[in-house]
Amino acid sequence: MDAAQLTQQMINGLTLGSLYALIAIGYTMVYGILRLINFAHGDVLMVGCYFAWFGAVQFGLPWWVALMGSMALTAALGVLIDQGAYRPLRQAPRISALITAIGVSFFLENLGLVVFGGRPKAFARPEMFNHIYQWGEVRVLSLSIWVPILTAIILAGLILFIHRTRMGMAMRALSRDLVTVQLMGIDPNRIIAATFALGSALAAAGGVLWAMKYPQINPLMGVLPGLKAFVAAVLGGIGNVTGAMLGGLLLGMAEIMLVALLPELAGYRDALAFVMLIGILIFRPTGIMGEELPE
Amino acid sequence: MPRNPHEKFGLTALLKPGGLLSPGALPPAHQTRRRDTMLTIGACLLAALGLWLLEGHASGYVVHLTCVGAIFATLAVSYNLINGVTGQFSLEPNAFVACGAYVTALLTLSPAEKEASFILEPLIWPLSAFSIPLLPALVIAGLLTALMAFLMGFPVFRVRGDYLAIVTLGFGEVIRVVANNAQSVTNGPLGLKGIPHITNLWWSWGLLAVCLFFIVRLVHSSYGRALMAIREDETAAEAMGINAFWHKMLAFTLSAFFEGVAGGLLAHLITTISPSLFTFFLTFNLLIIIVVGGLGSTTGAVLGAFLFTYGGEWLRVVEEPMQLMGLDIPGIPGMRMVIFSLILVGVMIFLRRGILGRHDFSWRWLLASLGLGRGSKA
Amino acid sequence: MSQPILQARGLTVRFGGLTAVDRVELDLPEGQLAGLIGPNGAGKTTCFNLFTGRIKPNEGKLTFAGQPIVGLRPSRINQLGMARTFQNIRLFGELSVLDNVLVGFHGGLKSNFLSAILRLPGYVAEERGMQRRAGEILELTGLTRLRDEPAGSLAYGQQRLLEIARALATDPKLILLDEPAAGMNPQETTGLAALVRRLRDELGVTVLLIEHDMRFVMKLCEQITVLDHGKVIARGAPHQVQRDPAVIQAYLGAGEGEGVAS
Ligand SMILES: Nc1ncnc2c1ncn2[C@@H]1O[C@H](COP(=O)(O)OP(=O)(O)O)[C@@H](O)[C@H]1O
Ligand SMILES: [Mg+2]
Repeated sequence: MDAAQLTQQMINGLTLGSLYALIAIGYTMVYGILRLINFAHGDVLMVGCYFAWFGAVQFGLPWWVALMGSMALTAALGVLIDQGAYRPLRQAPRISALITAIGVSFFLENLGLVVFGGRPKAFARPEMFNHIYQWGEVRVLSLSIWVPILTAIILAGLILFIHRTRMGMAMRALSRDLVTVQLMGIDPNRIIAATFALGSALAAAGGVLWAMKYPQINPLMGVLPGLKAFVAAVLGGIGNVTGAMLGGLLLGMAEIMLVALLPELAGYRDALAFVMLIGILIFRPTGIMGEELPE
Repeated sequence: MPRNPHEKFGLTALLKPGGLLSPGALPPAHQTRRRDTMLTIGACLLAALGLWLLEGHASGYVVHLTCVGAIFATLAVSYNLINGVTGQFSLEPNAFVACGAYVTALLTLSPAEKEASFILEPLIWPLSAFSIPLLPALVIAGLLTALMAFLMGFPVFRVRGDYLAIVTLGFGEVIRVVANNAQSVTNGPLGLKGIPHITNLWWSWGLLAVCLFFIVRLVHSSYGRALMAIREDETAAEAMGINAFWHKMLAFTLSAFFEGVAGGLLAHLITTISPSLFTFFLTFNLLIIIVVGGLGSTTGAVLGAFLFTYGGEWLRVVEEPMQLMGLDIPGIPGMRMVIFSLILVGVMIFLRRGILGRHDFSWRWLLASLGLGRGSKA
Repeated sequence: MSQPILQARGLTVRFGGLTAVDRVELDLPEGQLAGLIGPNGAGKTTCFNLFTGRIKPNEGKLTFAGQPIVGLRPSRINQLGMARTFQNIRLFGELSVLDNVLVGFHGGLKSNFLSAILRLPGYVAEERGMQRRAGEILELTGLTRLRDEPAGSLAYGQQRLLEIARALATDPKLILLDEPAAGMNPQETTGLAALVRRLRDELGVTVLLIEHDMRFVMKLCEQITVLDHGKVIARGAPHQVQRDPAVIQAYLGAGEGEGVAS
């Protein structure tokens, strides 16, 4: 592989990794606070894509308006799922909440199939993302450049939010222990709702960018990105926002490099995430950045 | 262990000590063992008679469903052993069923059949050159699946709780990817066709009987108590001298064995298999079954499996167009799965312990609730 | 003094910056009825966790019945003859009282799972033996009446007794009791003291117990080790320990009302 190809693949890996990172944050924040693997996260992403699709294609909204609208609606969906399905189970054994999350995931997928049909829908790529830049041998779609940039902006905003605002600090406090939060005088339930809103909005953003990349959507599109983003969150140390970003980037790079370096294994690409997951749980169960795995 | 506030709404309440159906002060189980054995043998004979009648008189469709029900019951009972009895929430049965189905089919398909199927890449030797009867093929498939579980167990049981769930789910996904890509063994996405239709009522119910024999007796032995102790409190179980790792391995391997064999029978019932059959969706269905039946109850697993099989067929009405009060309601394909998902969520929220909780069928319970048998006067 | 059944040398464990157990030395003679006391957070439970293999020490050696045990699984250590109870009761809540005790025998079971499934004669005989001995243990601990109740439904004091019963079923040479009298009423405490004494006198089990009820400890134990901030600050017969200035200081410093009075 020459330098040009390498650059090309690095950019691809960075793009894919950014998307995983965006999705992984929702997992990691919810897990940090509720110790719940929100199985439905990937499907929430899928619904977010349909929201954006309706906005952009049916109502002809500019892409960024559709994106914003989709993020808002998806945030509401995340809160709705939490309040309707997970909240009654806060005191239950954790496995009950996990089973419920699996149920919600299948509910969204199958409702998606019923409402939107199984056939993929084309997801138009906005003009500014559709250029092809060429430097010598390297050909890059402008979307591939924009995705990491947009991701970086969103994540910078997120980090500011969780470190500077009262709600953000409450989220971080809640993922450590409940007492501090009660001292701060914020209702934990509101913090949980805000976490779901934030995580789901980021998933919608990740999903829409994902949809522009491929560029189509279908009701089962959230499953694999969702699972892989979860793996990314574990790689980075679950509960840790910076770790989720690193984990996402690492996973994206690894997948692209596997295909680039060992093309005969390309078919096994979807298994790579899980092989990495098993590896990390064996050799470094705390993830890259994480603390002790909770029991 | 927090008590479930919704428990009082379930059948569970009736079965609790002092409940309506409680066996009360009955003689301990070991004093009635001979009677129970006789009753079990009698019930088996009766069931055999029922199957014989069904085979002779019922439609092919009902017979097929009843076979599917027994296979799902076998799967659910096995899955419940690791998830419900031992409390290790795992999500890999689709992988084990796939392994069993592929191995059995590759062993029973005739060389000519195989050559005709494997068009893209030939099947590797020696699989391409021979075929064997179903029974030994099932045994081999079960053992290989158990071996796979055994090897999987080493990394998998280093983690607990939801990590266990996600790692086992990952394994299931890996197996599916392998089935799609290992062209020269699995024929890739095309799958295997022309598998002989051998599975009938006797095979499927015979397997269910064998599986129940092994698993019920395991659960009602010292080993079963150890498995439940691990579920209740792993730390305490270890402190009481129970090696949690090896006991989880035991439950996992045994359940994989039966899931593999059941997969083999499934392949010989539906005659065509491909990777798309063994996605997480299959695991999801089994999860609904054991959760609705009551996680931890073998009886519940069997009950759940038949409810799911027959109920699922019955629910097909929602997918077909119908007339309701003079209105034409179009059928909604896919609606059944929406309903199943809602059932799962609803059961978790409102009836967390499922229909049977952790109670299991026993003769003394049945006799007592019928007002028969020794001690029922007490 | 005979060969100690449990010996700790330089036992140290750290949680992050906190040294919970700090170079603890211990020689527990076989057949002794010993106490381990100290203010809250002194590291007593952590010592039990170290002895039973639940956590691994950062430094130090542990010998049980002449065999080094650091790094062994808790189940292995139990099978060597060390049993424990838990301060925050950890029964198998949904299993019956009888089954809780029967679980204790499982570690010593010789039959493999196939002979258990097939009910081979060897297993059947073992199961009979377990049932019989479980009955005896329930009798000894006064729980016979409750044998079919789910363990989780028992009253607090009864749960503590069941913890002991379950530990006894593992056929221990040494039993570690973590605050066995906590939450018991005076009458139950008296019964407990009698039970503990019988374990030692009749069954020959060595006992090491943690307890905050000083009257209980002082009356029952022959040798007491006092822990503070993870360090052994005193050890000796009850009347010696009671008068030790370091001990009084530790308890006063901890600001606890319980004192060291007898
Ligand atoms: N697993 C653990 N992780 C971190 N700190 C712990 C852990 N277990 C105990 N500690 C700390 O070690 C100290 C000793 O605890 P413990 O042994 O339970 O005291 P006690 O003497 O009251 O039984 C306490 O400060 C406690 O917070
Ligand atoms: Mg303590």
